[in-house]
Amino acid sequence: MKGIIFDVKEMALHDGPGIRTTVFLKGCPLRCKWCHNPEGLHQASELMFKYSLCKGCNRCRKECEHPECKPFARCVRACPEGLLQIVGESIEATELAARIEDGAKILGDSFGGVTFSGGEPLMQWKFLLETVKMLGKYHLAIETSGHAEKSVFREVLEKMDLVMMDIKLADPEAHKYYTGVDNSLILSNLKELQASGKPHIIRTPLIPGITDTEENLRRIECIVGDSKWERLPYNKLAGAKYGMLGLKYELD
Amino acid sequence: MKNELYRFILNKEHHQYRRRIDWNLAAEYCALGLSPDERMSDRFSRMCREERAVILPGEQIVLIRTIENLPDIFTEGEWTEIKENHYIHELGYHSNLAPDYYSTIASGLLAKREFADEYGKRAIDSVIALADQYLEEAKRIGRDDLVEIFTRIPRYGARTFREALQFFRILHFALWLEGNYHVTVGRFDKHIYPYLKNDMEKGIITEDEALDLLCDFFLSFNKDSDLYPGVQQGDNGQSMMLGGVDENGNEVFNLLSALCLKASARNKMIDPKINLRVNKNTDIEIFKQATELTRCGLGFPQYSNDDVVIPALEALGYEHKDATDYTVAACWEFIIPAVGADIANIAALSYPKAVDIALHTALLSSETYADFFNAVKTEIEKESERICSSINNVWFVPSPLMRTLMNTDISGKGKYHNFGIHGTGIATASDSLAAIKKYVFEDKSIDKGSLITAVDSNFENDPELLNLLRYHSPKLGNNDDFVDSIATELLDAFADSLSGRVNCLGGVYRAGTGSAMYYLWHANEIGASPDGRRLGEPFGTNFSVSLFARIHGPISVIASMTKPHVERAINGGPLTLEFHSSVFDDVDGIEKIAMLVKRYVALGGHQLQLNTVNKEVLLEAQKNPEAYRNLIVRIWGWSAYFVELSPEYQNHVIARQEYSV
Repeated sequence: MKGIIFDVKEMALHDGPGIRTTVFLKGCPLRCKWCHNPEGLHQASELMFKYSLCKGCNRCRKECEHPECKPFARCVRACPEGLLQIVGESIEATELAARIEDGAKILGDSFGGVTFSGGEPLMQWKFLLETVKMLGKYHLAIETSGHAEKSVFREVLEKMDLVMMDIKLADPEAHKYYTGVDNSLILSNLKELQASGKPHIIRTPLIPGITDTEENLRRIECIVGDSKWERLPYNKLAGAKYGMLGLKYELD
Repeated sequence: MKNELYRFILNKEHHQYRRRIDWNLAAEYCALGLSPDERMSDRFSRMCREERAVILPGEQIVLIRTIENLPDIFTEGEWTEIKENHYIHELGYHSNLAPDYYSTIASGLLAKREFADEYGKRAIDSVIALADQYLEEAKRIGRDDLVEIFTRIPRYGARTFREALQFFRILHFALWLEGNYHVTVGRFDKHIYPYLKNDMEKGIITEDEALDLLCDFFLSFNKDSDLYPGVQQGDNGQSMMLGGVDENGNEVFNLLSALCLKASARNKMIDPKINLRVNKNTDIEIFKQATELTRCGLGFPQYSNDDVVIPALEALGYEHKDATDYTVAACWEFIIPAVGADIANIAALSYPKAVDIALHTALLSSETYADFFNAVKTEIEKESERICSSINNVWFVPSPLMRTLMNTDISGKGKYHNFGIHGTGIATASDSLAAIKKYVFEDKSIDKGSLITAVDSNFENDPELLNLLRYHSPKLGNNDDFVDSIATELLDAFADSLSGRVNCLGGVYRAGTGSAMYYLWHANEIGASPDGRRLGEPFGTNFSVSLFARIHGPISVIASMTKPHVERAINGGPLTLEFHSSVFDDVDGIEKIAMLVKRYVALGGHQLQLNTVNKEVLLEAQKNPEAYRNLIVRIWGWSAYFVELSPEYQNHVIARQEYSV
C-alpha cells in the first residue's frame, strides 16, 4: 500500500529518545494559522519554489516532457540553481520500512526508534500501521494533533510507545477559529490517552496572544492534570516556507 | 586581576613590550663562513639574551615574546644555492614535530645536557640563561611564587603541576624562538596528569585551582601566536592530544583530560587545538564532555579513532609501541612523538584533476566505464610518480634545541622519515565519476562529446544538464553504494599508487584524506566538473561531501564516509560535519551528537571534526549562498537550509546569533 510523505529526517532532536528517524506524513485536517510545516498540509504533491534565490531566467517556463512536471506550470528540471522541487513523495509501505531499516542498521545500538510526524500522521493511519508491521521491534513515537476518529486513535495508540500530542487551545470556539476544527474530538481522545497508561507528553505551542494567554494556559493546565506537559516557544521563522508554496502566512 | 589579564592579552596590550631587531646576521655569518649549526646556535643564544623578562600582574604561567622578528641565518644568495641542490620543504625547518617535552620536564635540562651534542649543550645553556632573567625579574618585583619555581626549573625536574606547566611553557617558547614552527604539544594529559594527581593527593591544589591554572597555561599559547608563521593566522600547529590508549592498551583519559576540555571551553581561544583519541570502548560520558566543548563553536575537539589509526600505522611499518603513542601534527596528520621525523604534509594529489585529464584524453575512446576508470587510475599513478620523483635530497635547517628534545636523528637518519601526501576533492571526483558511469555508460542518456563540451563551457548552454548533474545525480554522502564504491576505488587507487615507493630518506609515502588549503588551490586548477560543479567553486575540505550535494543527513554521511578503506590512507584528514550551534542548546542535542560520534567510531571512521556554525559563517553564507547550501539552521520544531530562507528570515537568525554570543 502507498502513502505520501514529505520528509524522512535522519537525526531529529526533541522527537523522542535516542537518534531517531522521523517520518513526516503529508496531509492534515487542521489549518493552524501558525503551522511551521505548511508543506505538510495538503495530501498531494506540491511545487516548492525558493523564490528568494531566483535570478529570473524563466527557463522553468519552457514546456517540457517530464511526467513529474505535468501538474505544475513549470519545469522543475530546468533551473540551473535547483530552486524548484516537488515536495511530497508517494511511497510503498515496504519501501519506507526498508528505508527506516537502512538507517537503523547504520546506527546499531544508537538507534532510538521511529517517530511519525506530519502533517497529521493519523490521516494516513492505515499506511502508518502497514509500515509499522514491517519494521523490527523499535521504540515508536507519534506526534499528533489528536484529531482523528476514536477507533483510529485507539488502534494506532496501541502500537506506539510514546505519544506526543498537542493541546493548543482549550476554548472550542477559539480552537475552531485558529485551527479550523473544534477540539471536542481531540479532548476526548486525550482523555482516553491519559486513561490508557501509555507514556505521553502534552505539548502546547506558545503563540503570542493566541495560545500563550494566561487564561488558555490555566485551562490547559486543568486538562493536563498529572500528564507531562511541554510548552514550546514560538519563533517568528515559522512562516518561512509559506512563500515557497505560494501561500500567505497570516500571522506575519 | 584574573579577568584583567585575559582582557590585556585579548586586546593585544602585551604587544607594547615588543620591539624589532635589525641585525643582519646572514651577512655576518656568511662573511665568517659559519656552518648552519653554528649559525642556528649563535642566533638562538643571541635571541635568548636579547629577550626581556616581562611578568604581568596576575600571571601564573609566564614568558612572553618581546622580540617580534627572527633574522634569517642565510643570505638570499645562500638560499638560492641551497635550493638548487636540495628539496626544501616550506620554510626549511623540520616542522610538524612532537618533541619529547615530558621526559625533559621530569629530569630537568641539566640532566638532558649530559646527553646533548656540543650545539645542544649551548642551546640548553641559552634556555637556562633566559629562564634566569625571569628569576631575576621575579625577585625584583617580589613575586615569591615565581622565584621559587624558577629557582628549581628548568635546571631540575618539575615537582608540582604548576612547575610542570611552567617548564612546558619554557620549552615550547624556546623551540619557537629557535625558529621551529608548527611545534605541536603531543599527549599532554598522559604525561602531565601524574603531577596533578600527586599535588591533589598531597592537598596542595584543588580541582578548581587546577582548572584555573590550566586556563592560564592555555592562555599562554595565545600570547605570541600572531608571530608564528602559517598560511593563515591561527595555522600555527599548537595541537594538543588528549585521551587514547597507552602502550598496554589502557585508557589514558583522566581528570586532567576532562579539565583540558573544560579549560578550552572556558577560554574560548583558538589555541591550543584540542584533539581527542577515542575507540569503540570509549565511554559515552567522555563523548558528552567532548560535545560540551564542540558546543562552544571552536571546532574542538577533533576526534581520532585508535581502533583504525594504530593498526594502520603499524601496517606502514611503525612499531606497535610507537603507533600506540601517536598524536597529530599541525592539523590532523598522524605523527609519533619524540621518535617520528616524518614530513606529514609534503605534497597533495587532486582527484578531480585526474578525472578532468581522463575526461579530456580518454572518455571518447573508452568503451566501458571500466576503461574510463582505468584511465583515471593511470592519471592518479602518473601524478603520484610526478610528486614522488620531484622530492629528492631533502635538507633541513638544523635545529640544535629541537634535536636535543627529540629521541631520534631528525636530520634524515632517524627512525621514521615517511612523507605524507594529501588527497583533495574525493567527493567532487566520486560524484563526477558516478555521473559519467550512470548517464554516459549505463543509461546512455548523455553523449560523451556533449558532456565534455558542457563541462568546458561551464554548462552555460545547458542548464537542464547542469540541473541533472548537480541535483539529481548520485552523490557521495547519501549512503548510496553506487557512488560510495567509487570513492572506495579512488582512495584505493591513491593508496596503491604510493604503496611500495621509497622516499629519498628511506621512508615510505603515506596517502592521506586531508586537503589542507588545496581544496581551494586544486579547485582552481580545473574548470567545471561532471558533477555539476561550476568553474571556480571550491571542493569540500578534507574527507567531506561536496558543498552543494543534496544530502539526506549526518547519518547517511557517516555511513558513506566509513565505507572507503581509510586505513590504507592514514596520513590523516577528517570527515567534517557542520551543525548549527542551536543543535547544542540542550541536553538532548548534546547526547545525540555524542551518540553520533560514538557510532562513527564504531563504524570504523578514522577522524572526525564537528563544527558549530556561527554568525560570521552566516554572514558569509548570505554573500555566497551557493557555497553554503548544506548549512542547517534549527528554527523551532524544525530545521531549514539557511540559504533558502528569505533575507528577512536570514537576518532574524543572525540577529538571534548576536544574543547568544
